[in-house]
Amino acid sequence: MINAKDLTKRYAGRTAVESLSFRVEPGQIVGFLGPNGAGKSTTMRMLSGYLPPTSGSASVNGFCVFSQSLEVRRSIGYMPEMAPLYTDMRAKEYLRFRAELKGLAGAAMRRRVDEVMEQCSVQSVRRRLIGNLSKGFRQRVALADALLASPPLLILDEPTNGLDPVQIRQVRELLRSLRGRQTILLSTHILQEVEALCDRVLMIHQGRLLADDTPAALTRNLRSAQLWVELQADEAKAREALAALPGVRRIEDPPSSEGRDPDWVRLMLRLEAGQDPRSSVSEVAMREGWALRELHLQPASLEDVFVELASMDRAV
Amino acid sequence: MRLLWILLKKELRSFFVSPVAYVVLALVMLLSGYSLRAALSILERGPSEGSIVQWMFQPNWFWLSYFFAFPLLTMRLFAEEKKMGTMETLFTVPVETWQVVLAKFSAALLVYGLLWLPSYLNFELIRWITAGQVVVPGGALAGSYLILAFMGAFNLALGCLASSLTSNQIIAAVVSFTLSLLHFLAGLFIMVLGRRVSESFVDIISYFASMEHIRTFSSGLLDTRPMVYYSSLTLLLLAFTHQVLEFRRWKP
Repeated sequence: MINAKDLTKRYAGRTAVESLSFRVEPGQIVGFLGPNGAGKSTTMRMLSGYLPPTSGSASVNGFCVFSQSLEVRRSIGYMPEMAPLYTDMRAKEYLRFRAELKGLAGAAMRRRVDEVMEQCSVQSVRRRLIGNLSKGFRQRVALADALLASPPLLILDEPTNGLDPVQIRQVRELLRSLRGRQTILLSTHILQEVEALCDRVLMIHQGRLLADDTPAALTRNLRSAQLWVELQADEAKAREALAALPGVRRIEDPPSSEGRDPDWVRLMLRLEAGQDPRSSVSEVAMREGWALRELHLQPASLEDVFVELASMDRAV
Repeated sequence: MRLLWILLKKELRSFFVSPVAYVVLALVMLLSGYSLRAALSILERGPSEGSIVQWMFQPNWFWLSYFFAFPLLTMRLFAEEKKMGTMETLFTVPVETWQVVLAKFSAALLVYGLLWLPSYLNFELIRWITAGQVVVPGGALAGSYLILAFMGAFNLALGCLASSLTSNQIIAAVVSFTLSLLHFLAGLFIMVLGRRVSESFVDIISYFASMEHIRTFSSGLLDTRPMVYYSSLTLLLLAFTHQVLEFRRWKP
């Protein structure tokens, strides 16, 4: 559905995106993940044909984004960042205007507009001026606009930005219901969103692709699982004993030691990929006669993966 | 064609939901009322060579309204879309850039045409009140409105270009006003220089002397040269506007 090769975008004196290559297969929901300013929006603008790449190429639905712009535009529903809308129009009126621009007409157009308004729960504000709508409603009007022509590909730039938790859940449900029928590329800087929704994650940092995998594989393969241990022991001794255990990569200080019981030592163990040394920790504690009151394995979150990848990237 | 009509409808709509169209209409009505009053007072003084139509389009009042209309009608067209970010939604649906340019320009031209309707009604009113004593020659009237349409198209195209260059409406308005005024003043050179310069120079200047054009047309004479001049400039400026907008897609 999307095939990007060495996509690069340079602005005067600044590289926003650097030789980004990836493919998106039909029917997938792909999450574009990165901190603000990582180059997500720029990439999406290039894929929608709004901005040309400085070098490299991309095709959407088999059409080149640069030379076959109109065909590309017919294949996508694009929702830009910040959901720009005509504030002097009413929600329904706006959607009808957009539907007409996208080639719908007559009764079919009116039916489709009602349908997407229902899907995005904006029926209640259909007669209100967009300028008077809250951020959440505007965001959903823009999402409804992207859905209008039932395009094979949806490119959504931060679709849940500015929504409250209930609305976020609704939008995720909506996107999930489109799975299989439409391909979705969505960008976000919220990690749970990707974990909850996406088949694949493209992690991008400072304009470069860090990882391209399923959320599960990313969290599994990266050595970021944590083990929390709290013991009643001498700290130096405990550190030494635990660090020697197989599968433990290093011991890190817990983020906060405030309000801690002075008799107890709380440690965070970074583990090697796929290792679970919980039983050996309890064995050590028993052997040494230390009381053990916490032993908790926290699987790596995408956040850890991200932080890890970003720091590795910086080191290179 | 269909897309053009959809875009045109939307542009016309946004003229009339915002106060812009009404403000400009009111301003032009007021000033053209003053022009008419000036024209009538000239006729009151005694027999005159020109008709009421000619006097109507001479006074400063008329030119004031003329110059205010263009920036106000065009400043919003592209600058607002840029500012609001709607340029991005507009150019990611299957519409051609020229369709957008033409729709916006045509909408402005239609609203501009509407501005002269009250002045026409004024003429009819005078004909009716004076029971035909004040002669309003139809040919002169038609000629005046014809050249106003051509001059309007040119100045509106200038405004479109100014608006496409910036995302700030005020800057667009100032640029458009300044360029319109410069063009007008260049045409005034004839008056300033009089007969002191060579004939050929006067000939060149008279190509863009708007005041001369309106004098010719409001006496009922149709001259094709100004019509060709204004329409070709209009096309050129719209082509520039198109290129400015397309540049985004080509800029590496």
